[in-house]
Amino acid sequence: MAVDETQRTYDHPLYQHVERMPGLSVALGNIDQLLTWGSANSLWIFPMATSCCGIEFMAAAASAVDLDRMGSIPRGTPRQCDVMVVAGTITVKMAPRVKKLWEQMPEPKWCVAMGSCAISGDFYRDIYSVIPGIDTFIPVDVYVPGCPPNPEALMHGLLRLQEKIRMLREGKLTREELRPESPPNLNRPAIGRLHDPERDPLTSEEQTDSAAGLGFGDNLNLARIRRPRPTAEPRPQPGAEPQPAADSDEESAP
Amino acid sequence: MHSVTGVDPHLDIESYDPSADLMVLNLGPQHPSTHGVFRVKLYLDGEIIIKAVPYAGYLHRGVEKLCEELTFVQVIPIVDKNDYVSPMMNEQAIAMACEAMLGIEVPPRALYLRTIFAELQRLASHLLWLGTFGMDLGGALGGGASLFMYCFRERETVLGLFEEVTGCRFHYNTHAVGGNRHDITPRFTQDTKATLEVIEKRIDEYVEIFSSNGIYRDRTWGIGVLDGELASSLGITGPLARASGVDHDLRRDAPYHIYGELEVNVFTESAGDCFARTLVRLNEMRESIRIVREIIDSVPEGPILGMKPGKSPGHIKIDAGQGYSCLESPRGELGTYVIGGGNSRGASAYRLKIRSPSLHAASCIPYLFPGHTVSDAVAILGTLDPIMGEVDR
Amino acid sequence: MTRDEAQERFVALLQERFGVSEIPEGNYPLVDVAHHFELARALRDEFGYRIYSFVVASHYPAQLDAKNDNAVIDTEHYEVATGLRCIGAPAHLASWRVRVELDQSVPTLFPLFAGADWQEREQYDLVGVRFADHPDLRRLMMPEDWEGHPLRKDYAIETACPPWR
Repeated sequence: MAVDETQRTYDHPLYQHVERMPGLSVALGNIDQLLTWGSANSLWIFPMATSCCGIEFMAAAASAVDLDRMGSIPRGTPRQCDVMVVAGTITVKMAPRVKKLWEQMPEPKWCVAMGSCAISGDFYRDIYSVIPGIDTFIPVDVYVPGCPPNPEALMHGLLRLQEKIRMLREGKLTREELRPESPPNLNRPAIGRLHDPERDPLTSEEQTDSAAGLGFGDNLNLARIRRPRPTAEPRPQPGAEPQPAADSDEESAP
Repeated sequence: MHSVTGVDPHLDIESYDPSADLMVLNLGPQHPSTHGVFRVKLYLDGEIIIKAVPYAGYLHRGVEKLCEELTFVQVIPIVDKNDYVSPMMNEQAIAMACEAMLGIEVPPRALYLRTIFAELQRLASHLLWLGTFGMDLGGALGGGASLFMYCFRERETVLGLFEEVTGCRFHYNTHAVGGNRHDITPRFTQDTKATLEVIEKRIDEYVEIFSSNGIYRDRTWGIGVLDGELASSLGITGPLARASGVDHDLRRDAPYHIYGELEVNVFTESAGDCFARTLVRLNEMRESIRIVREIIDSVPEGPILGMKPGKSPGHIKIDAGQGYSCLESPRGELGTYVIGGGNSRGASAYRLKIRSPSLHAASCIPYLFPGHTVSDAVAILGTLDPIMGEVDR
Repeated sequence: MTRDEAQERFVALLQERFGVSEIPEGNYPLVDVAHHFELARALRDEFGYRIYSFVVASHYPAQLDAKNDNAVIDTEHYEVATGLRCIGAPAHLASWRVRVELDQSVPTLFPLFAGADWQEREQYDLVGVRFADHPDLRRLMMPEDWEGHPLRKDYAIETACPPWR
């Protein structure tokens, strides 16, 4: 049975940037647009899959979600890749390797922190061998929350990364705004453990606030989600010792 | 030197033939075939491995230390992340250890649910293993990726069943000390039967793919032969040991849950090579399907979370004593050793050790790798199926 | 043979040949460290306990009596529990504990069970108990230059490791 295709029309997205004239097509516009179109749609992924999130990354690369359809192909070597997806807990033993692999990737490069372990260390945050978030030693562009995030969430994160790449090229955001230094109070776990009587009830709110403002500065109006703080009584401090965060000066992250 | 295999895992490389063309190759810690972060330092003579030194600990998250800090209720979502391919097994292992030490009765309905979940987890875990093993042999973009795609298609349907019950794809936190938190629905029963029907047919297809593929046979036949005696001596249990002729399965030999009432067929192979390990796992998938089918219609009515009078799930305290209980996870004997009497008068463990089958499986690498080529090493590592979260904890 | 019979046989073996007088309720029997290796050998060769199941070391800090001028109730020590299992039904687990002081070491089971290699390395790494005559007693989990043993009770969970955390 023959299929009637006379009514079918398809325009490649590139033609949006092309002026058509009879007999020839001329692309008017800057080469930057072309490069942006190219780099946003061929994000080759270097899966830095260490633990549980790696399995969900595999599920995202498999048939149900299929990252390939947006041009994202997982590759085994950092030298061919544009995006490093850090999926899983990074430990003290692994961190130097991650740093090295990140440095081996050619510019322009992006980093996606997938899952709460990569974002903040999750409940392993306080443990001697775990890095409290990879943004303490490599810059992160997109945070995909979840434990582990669904494959769809990773897909969404990559779409947001594409958006970011376009914004960068179009000059809506500068590189510094897109990838700021991580806030100093996230560099080191200074939050008391749950059953610790010394734990400040306000620390969790501070953490939420700084996480909400993370990476965007004043570009996004996040003030509306900030709750009004109750004025807390200063806790009686034995010997007026400040929080353990005070010694973070000498042990600041690289 | 081990008396059976003749391989010395602590071979002094200085004493090796000085005229040989030696090379050191690092497999990992970031290598697609290690399924995580695991490093094996290979000493090569030409392309033949003469010594393999594994290095673990790249994912050491201090779970055992964390378990000493948290209460027994808080521990259960933490241990989910150890064996992240079959998370429910970890929950069950901890819950069983606490129940055995406190003498808590689990209601029959919860036992049935645990058995069904355990077998479905085994199915999902073996499906993931099969897919990634195909990818290891065939390369990420080569022909092996097709098997990966097939297996993940099936795995998604199994994960969908769990999502129906618990709301999560994995890391369920559905088992508690004394029972389960989430009850199954009639739709779950219906969907499970339909899913199993599909998967059973597909397993036959995979067997066809494997057995009719000459490349696959060449790469697994006679590769990585693990001696049964060495396997027990290393503490290896589960499909790895059964492929080497060790007729041992905790579901049959030391029944827990409701396995005592069931007939569990244990498949063994005598060859002990990569091909035998594949066959054992494929047969186990079929057996899991059979067990679930057998019991899913006879789940008794009743409560799913039962505790002794006066005890609620939030007040589990083990004051003193030590205990160990274990179950048959997809990788072997997964056990929990609990020493009671930790913080807050026993609300947390003084010491909690997770006996992980993957660590034992990984410890046979120095015995299996020597004498093989680097490409065989990838095939062997694939069939060992170590889960790094469980090796390092 | 049922599991209860196997347990009775194990208890009888401990009492007759290895000088264990009492089997504690809800706990595993405590064996003198001098008998540790011999007991494992007897279980493996005479009774067929061929699966090396686990080894668990735990650290106990010194207990002082605060009311009584800090008199020493119990010195700082380690306890090492070992479990062996027999193949097939009834899959009985023979488990016992040994107690060692800080400066003592436990004889390694590596000549009997190849799996003791990694398991004892792990316990040495995390707890700090030493195994005598172990062929390769290096750290397994932590980096080679790590200081301290994380699972000891005097090791704080949030110990910093500059520059990484």
